[in-house]
Amino acid sequence: MKDVIPIQTNNTETIAVSKNSKNIYQQAIDTFSNFCRARSLFVLHYCTGCGAIELPPAMTSRFDMERLGIQPMVTPRQADILLITGYVSIKTLKRVILTYEQMQGPKYVIGICSCTVNGGMYWQSYATAKVLSEYLPVDMYIAGCMPRPEAVLTGLQQLMKKIEKGEANSWENYFKRYDYYLGNQQHLFGDTWHTPTDILEEARHYHLYGAESTGNNTARLIKYTVEHDLTKLDAPLREKDSMTKRGKK
Amino acid sequence: MSGQHIFLELILMPLLAFMIGLFLVLMMRKVRARIERRVGPPFLQPLWDIIKLYVKKMQISHGVIHDLGIIMLLGGYITAEVFLPVPGMSGFTSQGDIITLIYLMMVPSLGLALGVGQCANPNGSIGISRALTAMLAYDIPFIVVIAGACLYYGTTDLTEIIALQKSQQWGLLSMPILALAGLIAIHAMLGKEPFEIYVAPAEIATGPMVEMSGKYLGSLFVMQCLQIYTITVLYTSLFLGGGYTWFDFIPKLFLVALLPVMITVIFPRYKTDDVLRWLWKWPTGLALLGLAIVVLQG
Amino acid sequence: MSVLDLDHVFFLLIVNIGIAVLWGNRPFVGKILTLLYILEGLSILTSYHVLLSGAVLSSSLTFTVMQQTVQWQLGVSGGFFALITFMAAGLATWFSSGVWARSYAPIRLLHSYMALNVAAMLLLLASNDFLGLFIAWELVSLVSFLIIAINGGRSAKAAYSYILYAFLGAMAILLALIIIWNATNSFSYVEVRHHWSTMSVNRQLIVVLLLITGFGIKMAILPFHRWQAPAYAYVPAPVAAFLGAISSRMGLFALFIVLLQVVGIDVIQTLWLPFEIINMQTFLLWLAALTLIIPTFIALRQTDARLLLAWHGIGQGGFMLLGILSANALGTAGGIMHVFNHASYQAALFFAVFSVSYRTGTADLDRLGGLVTRMPISFTVMLVGIIGLAGLPPMNGFVSKWLIYKALLDEGMPLLFLAAVIGTLGTILSVYKLIHNTFLGQLRLEHENIKEVPWSMSIPMMILASIVFITGYFPGLLLESIAAMQSTLGISVVDYHLGGVNTGKGNLNMIVVVSTMLMAIGMGALIFFVLGNPRKQVTQWDNYAGGHFLTSDMRYQYSHNFYPGLMRVISPLYRNTIFWLESAIVSTVQFMAHISYALFMQANYLLYLILLVVISLLWVLAV
Repeated sequence: MKDVIPIQTNNTETIAVSKNSKNIYQQAIDTFSNFCRARSLFVLHYCTGCGAIELPPAMTSRFDMERLGIQPMVTPRQADILLITGYVSIKTLKRVILTYEQMQGPKYVIGICSCTVNGGMYWQSYATAKVLSEYLPVDMYIAGCMPRPEAVLTGLQQLMKKIEKGEANSWENYFKRYDYYLGNQQHLFGDTWHTPTDILEEARHYHLYGAESTGNNTARLIKYTVEHDLTKLDAPLREKDSMTKRGKK
Repeated sequence: MSGQHIFLELILMPLLAFMIGLFLVLMMRKVRARIERRVGPPFLQPLWDIIKLYVKKMQISHGVIHDLGIIMLLGGYITAEVFLPVPGMSGFTSQGDIITLIYLMMVPSLGLALGVGQCANPNGSIGISRALTAMLAYDIPFIVVIAGACLYYGTTDLTEIIALQKSQQWGLLSMPILALAGLIAIHAMLGKEPFEIYVAPAEIATGPMVEMSGKYLGSLFVMQCLQIYTITVLYTSLFLGGGYTWFDFIPKLFLVALLPVMITVIFPRYKTDDVLRWLWKWPTGLALLGLAIVVLQG
Repeated sequence: MSVLDLDHVFFLLIVNIGIAVLWGNRPFVGKILTLLYILEGLSILTSYHVLLSGAVLSSSLTFTVMQQTVQWQLGVSGGFFALITFMAAGLATWFSSGVWARSYAPIRLLHSYMALNVAAMLLLLASNDFLGLFIAWELVSLVSFLIIAINGGRSAKAAYSYILYAFLGAMAILLALIIIWNATNSFSYVEVRHHWSTMSVNRQLIVVLLLITGFGIKMAILPFHRWQAPAYAYVPAPVAAFLGAISSRMGLFALFIVLLQVVGIDVIQTLWLPFEIINMQTFLLWLAALTLIIPTFIALRQTDARLLLAWHGIGQGGFMLLGILSANALGTAGGIMHVFNHASYQAALFFAVFSVSYRTGTADLDRLGGLVTRMPISFTVMLVGIIGLAGLPPMNGFVSKWLIYKALLDEGMPLLFLAAVIGTLGTILSVYKLIHNTFLGQLRLEHENIKEVPWSMSIPMMILASIVFITGYFPGLLLESIAAMQSTLGISVVDYHLGGVNTGKGNLNMIVVVSTMLMAIGMGALIFFVLGNPRKQVTQWDNYAGGHFLTSDMRYQYSHNFYPGLMRVISPLYRNTIFWLESAIVSTVQFMAHISYALFMQANYLLYLILLVVISLLWVLAV
């Protein structure tokens, strides 16, 4: 059996640079960076729900998001904010997770409409993911069915304040607590669930590897990877066997 | 010129180009917003965007060529700025003429094309394919314009072209038809609607930018600033007599950029075929007419 | 240096042929032959300063016929082309000397034909009168035929078509020589030039047209362009590089000598085609422009990398002709310089393409992709090559093209300038397709374990790539001999320095341009690497696909029909007119052959009847 990723259950390693160890220049740079981050937000809309209809007025002449420095973007690579408008079916959730993992940090998730908070009117649906924050770290919920553009903009402004203060760091949790999120994802999609993005490797690369990054659930993922000779985490070209299995569930 | 002076120009000219380019971008976004009855972005928005992209904590690379492409793109435009005369600074203009400049301006496009190619994303490749097609479309009228202007001035040296215009009259007055054709060509060069075929967000997911994240995208934003600056300065030098001082030079640049922006907002996007047909028909026809007039005038 | 230096070279060439014929199959022979080619090149290079001063290297090879003493001596123009020939042959042999030779069975034939080709070319380059030129020309045609046909199959078919064209060309040249002999009673260049004006204007016109047809066929000018691309594409790698680099430039050399030295560009300018429709020079310039544009846009449509390059070779020939005929010091310099530049990057490009097909087994642009991670050296060579071919700074192709653009603008020919730029733009489109479909984009599953080609193949490529860069950085290295060439021919001489040219109305200094570029790229690298946070390299499956999960069985690559929008607009222009014309001629010839055969075999009495009727009708009409 190939040892692809060493499984460390009780890893106490934390982020390389903790806040206290920063000197004054680094703090100044951080403050300035957060200042800029708060003033320039690129939004990726994942608009499969009904809340999408509230975004055009928020963008166009009535409310004009651009005066706050918020612009729509097209691909996850370019975007800072993943805007999920409304209910997320299980099939959609796979794509949402793929998209989220392809976004580059700092990245923020905003759940618009009640459905993202607790499933809303789809509470009894077998095919809807109820609580979005179980699968992704959500920075902000904007409740309502549906929230008006004013509410959306207020939510965005609150997020901007959080970013400027340097408090909007929940995206790091996805790396630090990957085991938890992966477990919830596996609960819905089954044990064969995997995405092209190698979160653990990224966590190591960006020094975001924490004690809860790995656990039973990531062990399951790695086991699956090794069993199917996937080794997708370092050389996806050998994914011959898995190619038909992916995304079937 | 002393070595120190040259070194200063080598730093200063790209830096000024970037700063003016930022405001040109701001103007474009502001004008677009105002025509759409919006408020538009804050004053320093282009700068915040670029800084934010550069301080992103994560970014992906698809390989060495992806990085090299970005470097080549930045380097290509920095080189082009040094060969572009501005008031008070002529850089290396005497060592490479307008033909050199036009081909130097293709180097960043090649860099971008290589970088995007390595991303292995067909959206990006389609974007590059369309960008090169668009280049074939707008460069034909543009080259006729350049040829006409060079024939009229009898030189391909940009500083001399500017000096001739200062001593006689602006190219805009002596070659109005060529100037008009050139304006259409630079509109297409800027890649604004209706010639925006290679970005086409709804169609090919912003084409070349599809896999660009963090400072990769930031470098593309920098490139956008430099590109607008380079094109407007080139047009100003050819037809608006360059700059006497910075105080008349900068307004000219903004004026040149303003005209395409005012038009662009009211247009949707052409198909690739239609871009080719339209640009090969109208601006090229106009440019050839202007060229014929220049040749007949002797 | 002795005067008879050329004898050494001829002797070395004979040794070369001998070794290749006798021991061509041995594994080490490739290396010896490479050394010999380098030695031959060096022996010319060591006496190159003599050539630059206007003297010649003569040989003792001579004979007399019809009171004409035919002798061989190498001038500076011949020396320049000879150096390119030895460079191409030496590096091509080097490329084939190592591992490659094991994969190719008829390696002895290849070495022998290559040596024969080089020898014949040197005879051509050193010829000093029309008779010597014609003899060498026929030799070159013959050995080119042999080397093209080496693989059999498609290339043999192309070789037959080539030899037919070459016959036509030879007949044209022969006819021209007869007319010249009748008028001037001499074959020597000097005498012919001296007595040129004794010919009537119509004779002059016919002679020029015949010579252009004859020599132009070798460089595949329109409308004789059909044979070359298949002939050069389907041959083994070293042969393709050699042929693409220099072989067809022999036609250019002959035209250069004939048009500039013997006839003189001033004569060409005063000649008019019938009814004074168009000046001879303008006609030839437009022919060159069409030779540039049409093959370039045919290249754009190719899906086979080898054919794509071969078509570009034809197009760039048009570029050279455009420069040479511009009657401008810059243009002539650019045209001649482009011969060298084209040889260097075209050979590099052929090597890169054949390296890829050596490893992957295909040169089909729709079946490759993403090889840059597996074959980085070949990628770099191809990158340098395509920048050269596209004529962008900082590579050498830019300098020669700049000289030609500038000459066309200075001579007040804006439309030809436009044509040249259209050719360049078409080239840019097509070379990006080449590098994208081969090296960029998605790596295919079957190419996962591909490795870089061995050093014996990659070193010659790298040498060529560095030549492309260095002569782009210091174009004065080439311009020196070009200026000497111009002064021996008595045409206006280019005002050059190490970095480029001064014209007074727009200068080019490549040292400044390239240094600035390098510095600027350094600044770009500084901005990119120093500012901002680290990046992470991801795999090609971690890619935006609109929320789709990518797997390795999925081709997520855009390569076939790379420019659909452009093709929708211009594809009606690809009418294959020449192809139809050619097939019509072939059918006519076949038909005539059938009739003659039937007459001869007395197969059908009706034929005699028809013949009788036709003859009697003619007789009646005549009377």
